[in-house]
Formats: sequence, structure tokens, C-alpha cells
Amino acid sequence: MSNLSAAACTVDATETAGKPAAVRSVSLKIGEFTRRFGSPVGLVLPILIVALWQTAASYQWVEPVFLPAPRKVVDAFWLMLTKQDLFFDFLASMNIVGQAFVYGSAAGIGLGTAAGLSRKFEQFLGTTVDTVRHIPGIAWLPLIVLWLGIGAPAKILVIAKSVFFPLFLNTLQGIRSVEKNYIELGQVLLLTRRQMVRKVILPAAMPNIMVSLRYAAGLAWALVVVAEGLSGLEGLGFLIFRAQGLLLTDQLLVCMAIIGLVGFVIDRQMYALQCRILRWQQGFKG
Amino acid sequence: MGIAGKVEIRSVRKHYTVDGDRLQILSGVTFDVGSGHFLSIVGPSGCGKSTLLRLIVGLDSEYEGDILLNGERIGGPSRARGIVFQDHRLLPWLTLEQNIGLSLENMEWSAQDKAEAVRGQTALVGLSGFENAYPHQLSGGMAQRAAIARALINKPGILLLDEPLGALDAITRIRLQEELLRIWRVEGTTMILVTHDVDEAIFLSNEIVVMSAHPGYISKRFIVDLPSPRDRAGNEFIELKRLILAELHLYRQKAQSDTENWMNMASLI
Ligand SMILES: Nc1ncnc2c1ncn2[C@@H]1O[C@H](COP(=O)(O)OP(=O)(O)OP(=O)(O)O)[C@@H](O)[C@H]1O
Ligand SMILES: [Mg+2]
Repeated sequence: MSNLSAAACTVDATETAGKPAAVRSVSLKIGEFTRRFGSPVGLVLPILIVALWQTAASYQWVEPVFLPAPRKVVDAFWLMLTKQDLFFDFLASMNIVGQAFVYGSAAGIGLGTAAGLSRKFEQFLGTTVDTVRHIPGIAWLPLIVLWLGIGAPAKILVIAKSVFFPLFLNTLQGIRSVEKNYIELGQVLLLTRRQMVRKVILPAAMPNIMVSLRYAAGLAWALVVVAEGLSGLEGLGFLIFRAQGLLLTDQLLVCMAIIGLVGFVIDRQMYALQCRILRWQQGFKG
Repeated sequence: MGIAGKVEIRSVRKHYTVDGDRLQILSGVTFDVGSGHFLSIVGPSGCGKSTLLRLIVGLDSEYEGDILLNGERIGGPSRARGIVFQDHRLLPWLTLEQNIGLSLENMEWSAQDKAEAVRGQTALVGLSGFENAYPHQLSGGMAQRAAIARALINKPGILLLDEPLGALDAITRIRLQEELLRIWRVEGTTMILVTHDVDEAIFLSNEIVVMSAHPGYISKRFIVDLPSPRDRAGNEFIELKRLILAELHLYRQKAQSDTENWMNMASLI
């Protein structure tokens, strides 16, 4: 992952400087592709895996009920998309993840900042946070479902909780590790408290915040599958458990592939965002 | 617009406590800087020069003795005093332009005035064209010049400079020395400069104090009353340099070292 991503993060300052426009636009397109999805080298292994899968299916190393051929899975995908509600289920999952991610990270960054700035507030929250944190989101689900029903809100709440903690802890940690030199500079320039937070403290904590945002986005996507599997009647998670129950292995594999690919795209988008926001950073590029 | 100020440093003592041990850094530092004067501090590494500037700028109030600004004890940083730190201390997440503009953050100027002032300062230190560069894209000397621009932009009455020209090549260094002199004359700013470069100190200041280390105190004070513009190769210039280097124990009389060489050779024969 990291070596693929490293290529993607190279800042374009050097890339765009002093090249003829035509060359630049081509290299930009390649650069753009690489930035989003990593170098083509990354495709080699997936192709090998599919080839192995095809071989295994052709020679019937595994019974077709348990491992249908790739072709059958593609057919199942088309069937689910056109004759069933695959797209609707996909949107249902995205909706839950999107909302949970936004609420959870907003609360995490907000309270994390407050706790970072005030030791009193940190102590006030400390015991609660450290206890609640250790009860996994999924363990909350049964209780929350009793309260809110099996619809989206219960899942949003539970996933938001799982997004909240990494963001809260990393924001707090990021703020606490701001270099004292920078704070002193702000003091000498007579920045107000507000300016100090906006111009010095938050940007300094941003690398920590971005890492946890990326991590939390992946986590949220993984959790939605579990949450939908445990309760509710829609979403990719629901489909996957239903497919298992009905022994529709091809549909099960379709869901797995979608979950993997969407997770991949989410991660790459978050990484691109991280690179954009942290473009001031001169990191080790591998 | 700052009004230049008189700084009086009276028996300032400062210690740090490291692992329970008391580490005396400054022991009774006393000197004055008249309003609009240019004073340089020279002294060996680690003698407490940066520490002293931190006290004067108001970042640290844990010391004994008094630091008076126009007769009043200083209490915390103020707009009247600007500082160029020894490390350039540009914020890595702000562009050069934004870093320089940070000084104007809570000035009640129009955005346009601020932009203009930033542009002017950037040009003054020869960084036009790099407005949108991030600090990691600048050379050490460029970063140092940006830090000078940031300190100059709101025209403090007292400017504290902690080896601001240390990272520069000889040519840029001389240019910026002249620039500092020009600003000093035009604005009438009181300047306190820490430097390792005795030539620089003589070229710029009307007063030089020499600090000794462990613990730091002012061992000697020189008045520089050479006419300006100063001739770096002039006799009086060289003579003063000789005295200061001697005070820093960096200069042995040429004659003496020749004799020593003789004796060494003699012993070899
Ligand atoms: N926060 C601190 N805690 C403990 N000791 C410190 C601290 N800051 C500085 N010192 C010590 O104080 C002494 C003086 O440091 P200072 O930075 O003032 O030296 P300086 O004269 O500026 O040296 P240089 O010319 O190398 O910049 C040093 O011995 C240093 O180890
Ligand atoms: Mg120093």
C-alpha cells in the first residue's frame, strides 16, 4: 500500500515546472491516474489472482456451489444490478457510511480540539472516553437497535461512534505535540487565542488528523457491512448474509468484490485529500 | 509604527533547572541600549545570548533583575518589540507570503494595505517571485530573509536579531547588512543584534558588548564611533576588531605567535 501511495503523493510543483504544454498535459493525465489509483504495477497481482480463480473453477478444484467461475459472478452482478436492487442497496450503505463519517469525525475533531486546548476539559472527558472507547461499536448495536429500531439511524450512530474515537484521540495528541517554538512565535506576533488555534495549532495537528481520517473512513466502510448484516433489510451487508443463507455464492462474491473495490476507492480518495491538505509537508517519499 | 525605545538591562540573572540541577545561564547582565541605538552582542556559543533575547522580547518572565523598556518593566510580548529568531521559525504550512503576513494578522489594516505591505517587504529582502513557496522549498538563507521580513513588516520600535544573517552567503550578507543599516536610519529603530561575526558587529553598531560564558556576563563594552559609511578594511576598523577578538580570546598578537613559531622551530633544530 505505502509504496503505491508514495508515488501518488509526489507534489506536482516539480512535475509542472518548465515542460512544454503538450508534454505536460500527457504527463498530467498519467500523473492524475497514478495519483488516484496507484501505479499500474499494482494491477499485476489482482490479475494473477483472477487467473488462479479461473483455473480453479475450470478444473473444478472446488465445487461450483462454493466457488463459481468468474464469468458466473459477472453474470450475477449484471442480474443483481438490472433485475434486483443492487444499486439501491449500495446507496443505502453509502448513505450510512457518509453520514456516520461526517458526524463522527466532526465530533471527534471538535471535542479533540477542545480537550487538546484545555486540560480541564480533557480530564472531564477522560474517564468516560477511555471506558466507552473499549466497548466496540458493534457491542452497542443491539442496545441502540432496541432504542432506534433497525433502520439507518441506529447504524449511523454506532459507526459514528467508531469514527469518533480515532479522531478524538489523534486530534488531542496532535495538538499536544505542537512544537513550543511555534507557539512562542505566535505569542511574539501577538496572535489572539483564536488566531493561534487556526493558524498555528490546528495546522500543526493536521498530519495526525488526516491520518486518522483516512483510517476512520476505511473503518466506517468495513463496519457498515457488519452492522447491516446484524440488523436491517437493506444494504450490501444485508445482501452478503442473505446470499450466504440462500447459498447464492456468486452473489456473495459480487458483494465482496464491491465492498473491496469501494473500500479501495475510498482509501485512495482519502489519501489524495491528505496529500492535498498536507502539501506543505516535505515527507519521505520512499 | 513603533517609537524607538530605550532598553535597560539591570543585573539580570537567569537559571534553568535541568533534572533538579540548577544551571546558571546569566549572572548579572547589565547594559543599556539608548533609544535608536544599534547594539551588538558577541560571545561564545552557549553563553546565553539567545536566552537573553528571549527575556527581552518577553517570552520568559522567570528571571531575577530588571529589564526596563522606557523605564517600565516589560511584561510579556508587545508590538513594540520584534524578534528574528536564530532558527528562521517559518510555519511550514504557510506560504512565504502568508508567513510574512502573519505579523499583520490582527492589525486593523485593509486587506489591500496588508497585501501591499507584504509585497513591499518581500521585495525588500529579495524574495519576489517566491510568494507562494512553502518553507521547505526555500534555501536556508531565503528562509532567514523571510524571517527578517516578517519581523520588519510592522515596524517595531525595538528589533531583536538573533544571528539573522548567519545562513547567508557573503554577498547577500553584505547587502542585507546595508539594508539593516538603511532601515535603522530611516525608521530610527533600536536594534539589538546577536552575531558571531565581529566584522558585522563593527560595521553595523554604535556599541558592542562582549559576553563571557558559564555563566554569562558582559565582560566588556566597546563604543564604536567610526564615521559611516564604514570602511571594512580601514585601520581603525581593524584595530577595533583586534581588540574585540582579543577580548573573545580569539586573537593572539601576531608578533607573539611568530616568536612562538620561532621557538618551536628552534626546539626542533
Ligand atoms: N530550555 C532550556 N532548558 C535548559 N537549558 C537551556 C534551555 N535553553 C537554553 N539552555 C542552556 O542555556 C545555555 C545558553 O543557551 P543560549 O541558546 O542562550 O546560547 P547562545 O549564546 O544563544 O548560543 P549560540 O551562540 O550557540 O546560539 C546553553 O548552555 C543551553 O544549554
Ligand atoms: Mg543563540
